[in-house]
Amino acid sequence: MIWETLRIAIDSLIANKMRTILSMLGIIIGVGAVIAVISIGSGTQKQVTDEIISLGADVINIFSGTSRGQGGKISLNSSDVFTLELSDYINEVSPSVKRVVPIAQGSGLIIKGNINIRTTVIGTKPDYIEVNNYNPVLGQFITSDDVKANSNIIILGSSLAGDIFGEENPLGKKIKFSYLNKDYLFTVMGVMEEKGGGLIGNFDTQAYIPITTYMKKISNSRFVTSYIAQANSSEETSEAAREIEFFLAKYLNDENQEKFELFNQDQILDVVSSVTGYFSIMLAGIAGISLLVGGIGIMNIMLVSVTERTKEIGIRKALGAKSKDIMSQFLIEALSLSGLGGVIGIVFGWISGLIVAKLGGMSMMMACSTVLIAFCFAVIVGLFFGVYPAMKAAKMDPVEALRYE
Amino acid sequence: MLVIQNLKKIYKMGENVVVEALRGVSFQVKKGEFIAIMGPSGSGKSTLMHIIGCLDHVSEGNYSIEGENISKADDDKLAEIRNKKIGFVFQQFNLLSRSDLLHNVEVPLIYRGIKSKKRKELVVRALKNVGLGKRINHKPNEISGGEKQRTAIARALINNPSLILADEPTGNLDTRTGEEIMKIINKLHKQGHTIILVTHEPDIAQHAQRIIRFRDGLIENDEAVIR
Repeated sequence: MIWETLRIAIDSLIANKMRTILSMLGIIIGVGAVIAVISIGSGTQKQVTDEIISLGADVINIFSGTSRGQGGKISLNSSDVFTLELSDYINEVSPSVKRVVPIAQGSGLIIKGNINIRTTVIGTKPDYIEVNNYNPVLGQFITSDDVKANSNIIILGSSLAGDIFGEENPLGKKIKFSYLNKDYLFTVMGVMEEKGGGLIGNFDTQAYIPITTYMKKISNSRFVTSYIAQANSSEETSEAAREIEFFLAKYLNDENQEKFELFNQDQILDVVSSVTGYFSIMLAGIAGISLLVGGIGIMNIMLVSVTERTKEIGIRKALGAKSKDIMSQFLIEALSLSGLGGVIGIVFGWISGLIVAKLGGMSMMMACSTVLIAFCFAVIVGLFFGVYPAMKAAKMDPVEALRYE
Repeated sequence: MLVIQNLKKIYKMGENVVVEALRGVSFQVKKGEFIAIMGPSGSGKSTLMHIIGCLDHVSEGNYSIEGENISKADDDKLAEIRNKKIGFVFQQFNLLSRSDLLHNVEVPLIYRGIKSKKRKELVVRALKNVGLGKRINHKPNEISGGEKQRTAIARALINNPSLILADEPTGNLDTRTGEEIMKIINKLHKQGHTIILVTHEPDIAQHAQRIIRFRDGLIENDEAVIR
């Protein structure tokens, strides 16, 4: 009986191809949107998460917090907290911390001939490459001798080197760094490998100089911008973070931790996943609404179909169809519409997701559960919006229905 | 076989308007009888047809078919009786226009729960019996009026019903085709089927053994046909 009903329903859908396609359109677009949005969302989330993980699970970034200035104002110049010596203290008093690398950074113009490029210059120590797992491909990174001597040497990120020198070998060449209307001359000592975007800026577009050179010659300040601490191992990261927090709170006499902020991968991952999670929910919600609209479309078409086929309903009833037979015929028709629409929508969503991901340089991840949920949702929508027209058909009085022309 | 006692059908149109379509009708039909029902429009003959055909409920009185009183039966019960005991032949043929003859004739078997293979067997035989064995995969719009009515007769007979109810079966056909259909109906009568025929054409009514005339919801007269 169910097969018969299914056959009758499918015959009727085939007999009205155009109407079938039009009424499925809402469901196709709805399911497609859900699939595309969620796939791109989770793909992007995975991409971001992978990038963060690649930065190292044992790394803790320490930033100076926004301390309150006089008169309750927020002090913008909040970096006057961290000194070069403090990084060594932190390292000494925290047993789970392997090393602490200070960073002082500023943005200026790198000039060579008629090329000038706005660049972030990072003043740091040799350990920087250990913490970030980041190595030079040409020449060498900053050495401890460079730090001691405040040398005017510079190491370039890979894309920065390409932008300035093109195919030319940059080693030993001189370039100018212009900062706050003053020019400083540097010798290129190395070029770094490609690494891509990091938590704080893009490694490849930055330039690196000895921290002492930066502090004494460029910023003329005894304060640095931030520290990067590395724990003994990934497992000890939380412990290391606690030790640093405890020490800094005491050392800076800052129980409320207003003067500094710790940031490690776990926290960033939490933030990322909650942000992308909200986005996914919001977008899926919008897509869900379009599915709902698709369902209403199905209901409209089914209602039209019921009216149009009043005579058929009358004939079937006269020949012995019970209300439940008519009900299931129209319900199965609605379900076939939404189910088929769901399947086409999944394919459509997959293809459009791929295209959007390709064009937008995003990655896409289509999970089985997403497909299943979208399909089930489509079928439920079909069922929900199919019930009313089906009931209307089932309740028809056979005498009235037979009289209908 | 059919016993109708003091049957009334009352329609409520709005709050205070009541229309009595049947005002107390009684008669019996014996097994194998061929009866014609006649009367002007509004006489209640259509209403009676609907009740005898189990398409409508009884307001008052009793109606039993093969000893089973169905005056109080619910919709599902009526559907079951329509399916098993009654074969309809309509003036408008009432075929499913989008389906082929095979499906049209098998519909009553589907609702009876007969398996697909068996159904096809029965349908092919039924269509052959009315001379449409070669038209099995045609659709109703591809055949003539007479062929449509023969399809409807095949469908009416498919479940081997106790009663054949023909509502103006020749009304939409030319005289010659109408005669053909009446020949088939006569043949069915000779084979022992019980037939109730509604018509307003005296010539057609003359095929029956007995004519019941209706007027204003009551039986005006009920007499045997003298040949």
